[in-house]
Amino acid sequence: MTGRFAPALLVRIAALSTAIVLFQIGVVSAVPVFGVSVDLSPLLVAFVGLLCGSMMGAVSGFAVGLLVDLALVQTLGVTSLIFTLIGYWSGRLRELRDPQAALTPLLVGAVASAASLVGYSLIEFLLGVDAPVSLELLRQIVLGVFVNAIVALPMWAVVRRSLEGALPDDPRRRRRRAYTTGGLSPLSRA
Amino acid sequence: MYDKTVRRRRALLAVLVALSLILLTAYFGEAHGGRLHSVQRGFLTVLSPIQDGANKALKPVRDAFGWVGDTVHAKSQRDQLLRQVDKLRREVISNESEKHAYRELLALYKLDNQLSINDYRPVTATVIAKSPNIWYSTVTIDRGEASGVRVNDPVVNSEGLVGKVAQAASDGAQVRLITDSSVGVSARLGKSNATGIVQPKVGDPNDLLLQYLPANAQASRGEYVVTSGTVSSRDDSLYPPGIPIGQVTKVNEESAFRSVDVHPLANLHGLDVVQVLTAGAGSLPANVGRLAASLPPGAPSAPGVGAESLTASRGGP
Repeated sequence: MTGRFAPALLVRIAALSTAIVLFQIGVVSAVPVFGVSVDLSPLLVAFVGLLCGSMMGAVSGFAVGLLVDLALVQTLGVTSLIFTLIGYWSGRLRELRDPQAALTPLLVGAVASAASLVGYSLIEFLLGVDAPVSLELLRQIVLGVFVNAIVALPMWAVVRRSLEGALPDDPRRRRRRAYTTGGLSPLSRA
Repeated sequence: MYDKTVRRRRALLAVLVALSLILLTAYFGEAHGGRLHSVQRGFLTVLSPIQDGANKALKPVRDAFGWVGDTVHAKSQRDQLLRQVDKLRREVISNESEKHAYRELLALYKLDNQLSINDYRPVTATVIAKSPNIWYSTVTIDRGEASGVRVNDPVVNSEGLVGKVAQAASDGAQVRLITDSSVGVSARLGKSNATGIVQPKVGDPNDLLLQYLPANAQASRGEYVVTSGTVSSRDDSLYPPGIPIGQVTKVNEESAFRSVDVHPLANLHGLDVVQVLTAGAGSLPANVGRLAASLPPGAPSAPGVGAESLTASRGGP
């Protein structure tokens, strides 16, 4: 199920990703909250993975990361690498655990944001940027995770609404089926 | 069926991770004129008009968000600014007579030919994109090579120094802010004239550090730090002298060289309109900049005070 890349879904994800990345760098980044900027892109990638599975999550993570690096003239490959792993991880979470709790997007968003910020820090250290760990840096990371968690639920609603209908396995139908049959179809466990 | 799906999934992940690592390695290893950098500049050229349009369309949304934050701080800022205006008015009055005498002396000793901000051609640009993470202190502007913007051109706004142009496409450019770890600015303290290098404060992405000051340099809290009009290595930008950078917030004395913490005057989080100080071919800043670029590769990059390699004046080497 997760291996199918339906064209309609791909088009929707591409359009949504482009719109969100443009909105991110044009508007959201210019409005600091508690001294840090909200970063919608890791949330987008995590939620695409959570809705569409690990393969789509990884592919969209790579594409969104590349778009961000190109648009912001950053070191190519850094964001792609981090977002690929975030998309894949959230997709696997859906495939293995299929969490249905209302707060799942908030937790997934917070973890994705933390992974993104810590991942950036690690790669920048490896690339030799002169910025050792400090309390201020830690504060920025914690604040970044916090403000991203605040916007995680609205962002989840936007992503789910945008992809609804084109998803290979609609979550609501899947839940209904799980309720009536007592479990998920073995086919969707792959 | 299950094994095939698992294999395919793992293979895809491996391919994407490998691709990312290849991109990262190739990009990091190549020169600024390399193929991947060119692709990035091309993308910037294509994206700039779109970002510009999106920026204009979404400005009301941004302003609405900004208005909430601005209103919260407005009252305390107003009181603070009123006090500052009073203080500055007194200073301006006392400075006027000194300025007049200073100009006369400069003319007398034929020193009135130093590079100044008036020698540049300012190009006004709008910020159309900003990096969201704490590691990349960059913004994208809607003016590029077509408007005369070149790599390393200084960028200012009404408050002070903002940064320098890192990459330029035809209709857009990337500006590296002074809080970026790769930027260093030769600067001097406003009162004592002691010079040093302003760099981002390690571990604090929003603050700066003026370091390599002489051990006997006198600095006080609230003192202004301005550009010195010199470069310390061939990779530096030549900022015209006297551009305000920030205010001293703390004096550190723990090392052989004295250093001071500096808070930038320009609000780098709320950049909207900036000016790129461009230099036409054959102009004084262009000639001095070319001279700076021709410094030997081994020229010092973070030296002490006496190591500044070039002073921006007409009577230079």
